[in-house]
Amino acid sequence: MKKKKTAALLFSAIAVSVLTGCGRKEPSPGDIAGYDDGEQYLSIWVHSIEDTEEGQCYRKSVDAFNELYDGTYFADIEFVPRNDSGGGYSDKINASVMSGGLPDVLTVDGPNIAAYASNGIIQPLAGLTEEERSVYLPSIIDQGTYDHKLYALGAMESSVGLYYNKEILAEAGVTVPDTEHPWTFSEFLEILGKVKPVTDAKNGYAIDMTFPVGEATIYYYAPFFWSNGGDFIDESGLNAEGVLNSPENLETLQYFKQILENGYMSPVKITDLFESGRAAFKFDGAWEVNTIYSSYPDISLGVAPYIVSDHWDGGRYTPTGSWAFAASSATEHLEGATRLVQYMSGVESGKRLWEESRSFPSTYEAFNSSPIFQEDENYNALYKQLSNYGHPRSKTPVYPQVSASVQSILENVVLTGMDAQTELDQSIERINAKLKRYRADE
Amino acid sequence: MKKKTSDSLLGMAFFGPALVLLTVFLFLPMLLTLIFSFTDFFALNPALTHFTGLDNYFQILKDEDFRQAFFNTVQFVIIIVPLQGLGALGMALLINRVTYCKKYFKVAFFVPVVMSLAVVSTLWIQIYSPEGILNSLLSLFGIPAQPFINSAGQALPSIAVMSAWQGVGYQMIIFLGGLQAINPALYEAADMDHATPWQKFKDITLPELKPLCVFVFITITIGAFRMLVQPMVMTGGGPSHSTYTVVYDIYETGTVNWEIGLASTMAIIFAFFVMILTIIQTVLTSDKEDKHADKKTKAK
Repeated sequence: MKKKKTAALLFSAIAVSVLTGCGRKEPSPGDIAGYDDGEQYLSIWVHSIEDTEEGQCYRKSVDAFNELYDGTYFADIEFVPRNDSGGGYSDKINASVMSGGLPDVLTVDGPNIAAYASNGIIQPLAGLTEEERSVYLPSIIDQGTYDHKLYALGAMESSVGLYYNKEILAEAGVTVPDTEHPWTFSEFLEILGKVKPVTDAKNGYAIDMTFPVGEATIYYYAPFFWSNGGDFIDESGLNAEGVLNSPENLETLQYFKQILENGYMSPVKITDLFESGRAAFKFDGAWEVNTIYSSYPDISLGVAPYIVSDHWDGGRYTPTGSWAFAASSATEHLEGATRLVQYMSGVESGKRLWEESRSFPSTYEAFNSSPIFQEDENYNALYKQLSNYGHPRSKTPVYPQVSASVQSILENVVLTGMDAQTELDQSIERINAKLKRYRADE
Repeated sequence: MKKKTSDSLLGMAFFGPALVLLTVFLFLPMLLTLIFSFTDFFALNPALTHFTGLDNYFQILKDEDFRQAFFNTVQFVIIIVPLQGLGALGMALLINRVTYCKKYFKVAFFVPVVMSLAVVSTLWIQIYSPEGILNSLLSLFGIPAQPFINSAGQALPSIAVMSAWQGVGYQMIIFLGGLQAINPALYEAADMDHATPWQKFKDITLPELKPLCVFVFITITIGAFRMLVQPMVMTGGGPSHSTYTVVYDIYETGTVNWEIGLASTMAIIFAFFVMILTIIQTVLTSDKEDKHADKKTKAK
């Protein structure tokens, strides 16, 4: 009888300790190999698993940091898996915001920096000298700045290229302009008209273009809006009225419709249209170059400068941005956390990320140290576009809603033929509903 | 008395761990969802949470995305319940008659059930693609290529057909078990009375399977209401929100937009709706069963 009672108690005790033993506690020197007396302990979370090439890069960068700052700092890395839409990793951050236990340094996806900053999850980095800032591409500093303060530094950068099939363009007698003189909207329509007979003969389309659900759509096609003088939300990030539904944006949507109505793009997604050599053009992330080189060697790939509106003022307009490192608001060691952020996003880390996972680096030196950015015309074109014309994504705490709205506007207006003005106005209502909590704080 | 106490203690020892786990992972979250549904809980800034009364409920009922998601989900249920339920019954009846390769058919129809929904969905993206196998087949009959999951009109029915294909094997096995449990003497007696096959099906098979039907239809209904993976993998809720379901909306609101309070409200409204529907379904079907039982006793 007594035994059973003890057993029951034991059971509950185990259950309770298993369930509650999830808190985080800081280790003492000696607990972890490499963490010695007198060193400042810094924890860091990354959004990747250790087994990937990207994960390996982070591991090596942390090891190199620990070696460089031996006796001063010790960084302890934790790998947090995430799914395609960012779940998993962000769930862990959300949970830690609630229950405590945020690390000293964490990774943040570019468009989330504003939301994390305005909700006090990350804090501005300790002062960086002008020289320290100048190693980064302007797009990286732009992306990490919110409310005039620098919160995050990216280790990698990305862009979107207008890829073309050299053989198809040659057959259609089309020549590609240089980075400084991109095709305008009207010129591009003419070009599409020229290549259409060639791609029609291949049972394809002039351009391989779709509006996928998720971040891709706004990331790929924002330059159409930006170069036409439009935007999605104003500079404060708290007002879309008059911005999203501007006459410029209506005009841009009209342009997309022309591409569809002239039969230059397929109304439905056709898998690998460009990769199978049946489309002359495609907009895609910078990673497409590596994909084509390694998986579709038969395609002779070129990168044309991203097209611009007829009213383009020469300003920055091409997509940028990727994951970045930031100091959490929980850290009491801001100086150390900033050094770690700087190192993780610095030249050596960038070089490693490029060499091992083909992600574009974020510093000039890393770009210059790799000859491929000078020698390979496609990588060179993307690098030039990125450093000269890179435009950060909209900075607003309600970015997920803005991104989803732009996707649904393009899909509904261009593909389904719904009324553009109504769609824009409805999206503003949705964005306003999410903005309510930020406006109330003012 | 003493024996009783020790028995109940032993019972508690076995039951305790499960109770603790259920409380922590099921009952507490349910209770928290209910509490959060009356707040503006925001995952990125829990410190700013206020009690907002019924505000969320009013907001959700006015929310067009939620209404559309709700309508889509109901539409999905209306398509899939008869399709999958009757499909399972039909297949079970056929397999029950087959004498050759019976095991093969059973396994073949059951395999999709074991496959992960994400895998099945990825597979069907190819089948439904503009240049996919289904459109190639259609073109053999001179039917023009259909957009399937790429059009707002066809996406939801296409996903429903795929889901029915994926799930039907499970209900088929249940029906098959039910069919084999029917007393053969009933059919023998019917044969003696020169009953037609339709009469046998209507007056013996169906009434005997009735309790199973109730179970099968309720499980299909609840499963269909929870639909999430298929649109997530295949369409992302599009085109034009035509495959955006309630559970998808709850997920997006809670994890992508961080609005835990609103997402909780959606979950509560939705759970309430499904509960009511299930009660109605149970009451309706059990009533008929009672009447049926009454008839039986009267006949005796």
